[in-house]
Amino acid sequence: MKKTDNKAIKKTGLGAKASRRIDNTVVYIVLILISLIWLFPLFGLILESFKVEYQGQTGYLWPQQFGFDNYIRLFKETDFFKWFINTGIMGVCTAVLQTIFVLSMSYVLSRLRFKGRKGLMNAMLVLGMFPGFLTMILIYKVFSDLGLVLEMAPVGLIIVYCASSGMGYYVSKGFFDTIPKSLDEAARVDGATRFQVFYKVIMPLAKPIVIYTILMGFMAPWGDFMLASYLIHQNSAGMNVAVGMFEWLSKTMVNSHYTMFCAAGVVVAIPVTTVFLCLQKYYVEGVTGGAVKG
Amino acid sequence: MKRLNDLDYLKLNKFGKLLYKLKLFLFAIPVFFKNLGLKIFGAIKGFGLGIKNSVSDIAYTFVKGNWAVKLSFLIFGFGNFYYGQILRGILFLLFEVVFIGYMIVPSGGAYWLSKVNWFQNGATVGTVQGEFKYNELYDTDIWVAGDDSVKVLLYGLLTVIFIIAFVYTWRMQIKQCRICMDITAKGKKVKSGKDDLRSLVDDQFHKTMLSLPLAGILIFTVLPIIYMVLIAFTSYDAAHDGYSNLFSWVGLEHFNELLDFGKGGIGLAFGEILAWTLMWAFFATFTNYFLGMFVAILINKKGIRLKKLWRTVLVMTIAIPQFVSLLYVAKLFDSSGIIGKLLLDWNLIPDSMLAAKQFSLWQNPISSKILLIVLNIWVGIPHIMLMATGILMNIPQDLYESSRIDGATGWKQYSKITLPYMMFVMGPYLLTSFVNNLNNFNVIYLLTQNNQLINTDIGTAGGVSVCETDLLITWLYKMTLNSAESKYYMASIIGILVFVVVAVLSLIVYNVMPSTRNEEDYK
Amino acid sequence: MATVKLTNVKKVYGKDTVAVQDFNLDIADKEFIVFVGPSGCGKSTTLRMIAGLEDISAGTVEIDGVVVNDLQPRDRDIAMVFQNYALYPHLTVFENMAFSLRLKKVPQDVVYEKVTQAAEILGITEYLMRKPRALSGGQRQRVAIGRAMVRDSKVFLMDEPLSNLDAKLRNQMRAEIILLRQKIDTTFIYVTHDQTEAMTLGDRIVIMKDGFVQQVGTPTEVFDMPDNLFVAEFIGAPKMNTFKTQLVYEDGKYYVTPYGAKIEVTGAKAEMLKARGITSREIVLGIRPEHFVLSSEGDSAAIPCKITVNEMMGSELHLHGVEENGDKLIVRIPTISLTDEQRSSLTFGSYIYVTCEGKVMHFFDPETEKNLLT
Repeated sequence: MKKTDNKAIKKTGLGAKASRRIDNTVVYIVLILISLIWLFPLFGLILESFKVEYQGQTGYLWPQQFGFDNYIRLFKETDFFKWFINTGIMGVCTAVLQTIFVLSMSYVLSRLRFKGRKGLMNAMLVLGMFPGFLTMILIYKVFSDLGLVLEMAPVGLIIVYCASSGMGYYVSKGFFDTIPKSLDEAARVDGATRFQVFYKVIMPLAKPIVIYTILMGFMAPWGDFMLASYLIHQNSAGMNVAVGMFEWLSKTMVNSHYTMFCAAGVVVAIPVTTVFLCLQKYYVEGVTGGAVKG
Repeated sequence: MKRLNDLDYLKLNKFGKLLYKLKLFLFAIPVFFKNLGLKIFGAIKGFGLGIKNSVSDIAYTFVKGNWAVKLSFLIFGFGNFYYGQILRGILFLLFEVVFIGYMIVPSGGAYWLSKVNWFQNGATVGTVQGEFKYNELYDTDIWVAGDDSVKVLLYGLLTVIFIIAFVYTWRMQIKQCRICMDITAKGKKVKSGKDDLRSLVDDQFHKTMLSLPLAGILIFTVLPIIYMVLIAFTSYDAAHDGYSNLFSWVGLEHFNELLDFGKGGIGLAFGEILAWTLMWAFFATFTNYFLGMFVAILINKKGIRLKKLWRTVLVMTIAIPQFVSLLYVAKLFDSSGIIGKLLLDWNLIPDSMLAAKQFSLWQNPISSKILLIVLNIWVGIPHIMLMATGILMNIPQDLYESSRIDGATGWKQYSKITLPYMMFVMGPYLLTSFVNNLNNFNVIYLLTQNNQLINTDIGTAGGVSVCETDLLITWLYKMTLNSAESKYYMASIIGILVFVVVAVLSLIVYNVMPSTRNEEDYK
Repeated sequence: MATVKLTNVKKVYGKDTVAVQDFNLDIADKEFIVFVGPSGCGKSTTLRMIAGLEDISAGTVEIDGVVVNDLQPRDRDIAMVFQNYALYPHLTVFENMAFSLRLKKVPQDVVYEKVTQAAEILGITEYLMRKPRALSGGQRQRVAIGRAMVRDSKVFLMDEPLSNLDAKLRNQMRAEIILLRQKIDTTFIYVTHDQTEAMTLGDRIVIMKDGFVQQVGTPTEVFDMPDNLFVAEFIGAPKMNTFKTQLVYEDGKYYVTPYGAKIEVTGAKAEMLKARGITSREIVLGIRPEHFVLSSEGDSAAIPCKITVNEMMGSELHLHGVEENGDKLIVRIPTISLTDEQRSSLTFGSYIYVTCEGKVMHFFDPETEKNLLT
C-alpha cells in the first residue's frame, strides 16, 4: 500500500516537471516564430538593398548579385542626402523644443495647483479629439505667406511639430505624479521658490522622463508623412525622408527605384534604431509608466 | 430602476448578476446624458451669474473709486499708476495703445472687420474680387489682385479675438483697481512691480511655465480649429479658393449634402467609411491588445530564458520609422512582391479573385481589409507587449501564491487574476488606443496608397475618389491635399462630425470604465 | 524663538468640506505644543496652514506678531519635518542638510560647520556622504530632523515624524526628541495621532476631532480633567471605561450605580459636584482601567464581570470582561499586586468583582458629552 502511494506521488512530481518542460518548448517555438516574423521585413529590407541585378521588385528575397550599387546611386543620383540632413535637423530641433514644451506643461499640471487647472486639462482633452491635421489648411496658407513652405518647409514643420506639443503631456505628467509631493513642500519650507523647486529638486529626479521626451521628439520627424506632405508639395529641397521616399514606390517609379528604397530605408533605420536601442530603457519606462498612470 | 443592496446582489446567480450589471449600464446612459445636460446648464448659469457679479462689481468700483479709478475706465492702468503699481499700469496702457492703434490704422482691425460680412448668407468673404483688367502699359489683360477671402476671414477672426481680449483686459484692470481699493482701505500695501516679477518664479510660477506651450496651442490648434469651424459655413473649395474667386457664406447649405445617400453622395460615403473606421478601430485595438498581452505572458513565463532578447527583437520594430517598414511590407504583398508571388505560385489566391484578375491581396475589398488588420498586429504588438510586461511585473506575486494555495492553476490564474488586473490598469489606455486607431493615418495610408482599390459603391465623394480601405481621416486628408478638387468646406464639416463621433464615444466609454470610477481598487 | 498665534483659523476644501473649524490658540515662545487626534481630524491641515503649505480659508496666523497668511513658506522662517522624511533622493545626506543654507547663499565654511554640528548631535556624521536610499528608517528620520535643525528657524514643525518607524525605534526616537528639544531651544509644534507621544512630549496638548478643538491643556490637565467624553476616551491606554448610569444624591452624599453596584463619590470630586449644585441625574460614568481594584463577591460597591480575554503584559495584566448586560469593560491590574493564586484564577470564563475609588471617577452629561465638572 505504502509503496504504491510513494510511487504515485513521485510520478506526478515528475509529470509536473516534464509537462513544464514541454510547455516551455512550445513557448520557445512560438517565440522563435514570432521573432522570425517580426524580423523578416528588416532582413528583407537589408537583403534587397544589396540586390544589383534588377532595380524593381523581383519576387524573391536573396539577391543573385550582391553590391553597393543602390547605396551609391542613392547618394549620387537623388536628393536623398539632402532629405536625410533635413530630417536630422528637424529631429534635433524638435527634440529640444518639444521637450521644453512638454515638460513645462506636464510639470505644471502635475505639481502646481491653480485656478482653472481642471478646466485646462479638460479643454485639451476635447481639443485632442479634433482631427488635428485639418488645421494644416490654414497653417499652410499662413506659412506660405511667411515663406515657411517648400524648400523652407523644415522650419515650418519644426514649428508645427513643437507648437502644440504641450497637448501631449500625459506620459510625463504620469511620471511627475509619482514623485512624492512632500519633496516639493520640504524644499519650499527650506526656502526654495517654485522655480528652484523645479530645477533643483524635480528636474534631477526626472532624468528618465526627460530622456524619453527627447527620444520621442527626435523620432517624430523621421516617421511623419502626413503633416510634412502638406507643407512640402513636391519640392525636393525641402523634403523629409518619408515624403521623399514615398514617391519611389508609386506605380510609375517602383520598377526603377524599389531596391534604392530598400537601401534608403536601411540608411534611415540605422541611426534611429541605434539611438532608440541605446535609450530603450527609458522608452520602456515611459511607456509602462504612462500606461499604468493613464 | 431599483438598486439591489450588496447582500441581495450576492444572492443572484451568474446570469442574474450579468443581467443586473447590463441593466445598470443601460440605465446609466440616460442618467449620464441628463447629468451632462445639467452640467452644461449649470455652466451657462454660472457664466450668467459671473457676468451679473461682474457688472455689479464694476458699478461698485466706479461709484466708490476715486478720480484715478474712474479715469482708468477710459485709460487703462491709471488706477494702477495711482496705487503705485507702475509695471502693471504700463502693461495695461501699452495694451490699450496697441489695440486702439491696430483698430484704427488703415488696413487694421476695423478694415478687416468691415470686409468679413459675418454669416450673411450669400455674401462674399471679402469685398473686392480680383480680376483681369486691360493694362495699357503692357497692352494686355493682367491680374489685378482683390481681397483674399482666406486672409480676410483670418484677420477678421483675429480681430474678434483681439476685441474679446480687450474687453477682458478692461475688466481685469478694473478688478485690480477694486482689489487695490480694498487693500488700501485695510491699510495694507499693494503689490509692487518687484513683487509681481518675484511671484512669476514663485506662486505664479505656473503662468511662467504655461505661457509658451499654451501660446503654441492657442495659435496652432485652437485658432485654426475655430477657423475650420467657420469654413464649414462657407463655400471654400478649389474653385473658390478666396484669391482667384472669393468664397461666400452659405450657412447650413452644405450640411444638406450629408443627407445625400446616392452614389458619390457625402451621406453614403460618410456612412460607409464610418462603418469601416469603427470596425477597423475595434479590431485593430482588440487584436493588438489580446495578442500583445499573450506575447508578454509568453515572454515573462517562468523558466523562459533570454527574456531580454525576445523583447529587444520586438522593440526593434518600434524603432524603425513606420513609413519604411510599412511601405516595404505593403510591397511584399503586392502581386510582384515576395509574399504575393509566393501566394500566387502556391495557388493560395482563391480562384474567384484570380478570375477577377485580382492577383494581389490588396485588390480585393475583404482580403485587403483583413490584411490591414493583420499587418497592424505586426505594428502594434511590440507596444502592448512592453506595456503589459510592465504591468505583469507590478502584479503582486502573493496574489498568485495565495491563489495557488486556494487551488487555482494556469488558466484560472490567468482569467481570475492576470486578466482583470490588466483590464483595470489598461482601461484608459484601451480607450486612447481606440481613438488613436480611429485616426490611424500612417498604417492605412502607407499600406494602401500605392495599391488603391476604389470603392465602386461610392466612387468619388467630396471631390476625391474613395478607397475601400479609407478611414475618415485618410479621406479627409485626400480631400484637403488634392488641390484641384479640394472641397475644404466639406472637409471641415466632416472634421466636425469626426469630432462629435470621437467625443461621444470616448465620453461614454470613459464613464462606464471601472478604472475611472474606483481608482483605488487595485492599489 | 517665537510666539505663534492662531485666531479663528478655518480651512474649507472645495465648497463645503470643512477640515478645520475656528481654531484659536496662543503658543508661547519656546513652548512644545502637540496636536493630537484621530486621522482626518484636521491636525495636519492646521500644521500645514502654519507652514504655508495650505491656504488659510479664514482667520489669521501670526508668527512673532506678524500675520503670515499671505507669505510663502520660505518667508515664514519655519523648519518642518515630514512624516515620510521627504529627503531629496538625488542629494547626499550632507547636501540634504545643507540645501536650505545654500539657497540662502550662506558661506561654505558656515554651512560646513552647521551641518557637521547637527550631524554630531544626531549621531549621523559617518553617513554624511551617503544617499538617503542607503539609510535605514531611523537614520533617515535623523537626517530629516537635522535638515530642519540647521536652519535655526523661529518655529520647528513636525508632522507625525515617528509614525513610519517600528515600535521600538519609535520609543527611542521619542526620547531623543525630548533631549533634542533641550538642545535646540525653540518653539515646537508637533502633530501625532499617538496619545503616548502627545503625553510624553508636549508642554501642552491640543486634542482635535472632526476639525474642532476638543481641549487644550497640559498632559496632566487633559488626563485628570478631560473636557468631554471624546478626550476622556482618547487620552490614556487602554481607553477609559464608560457606563451610562445614574448619579444619586442622598443625604448630602453622591453615589454612582453602575450595574447594581453602589459606589460613593469621595474627595474633591464630591465637593465639586456639590459646589455645582448637581443632584440626582442620568450621567455617563468614566473609570480608567487602572483605577479599578479587585474586590470580592458580596461587596455592594463591586461590579461583577466575566473575563473574556486575559492579556498578560508583564508588569501588568489587562482583563477584558463583559458585564451581565453584555457591556464590555477593561481592567488593568499591576501584576505585582496579585498573589499567584489570584493570577491563576483569572482565566477565561471566570468571574471577577471590581470596584473603584470614588475620587478618580469622571462624570459626563449623556446628551452633550461634556464633563459635568468643568
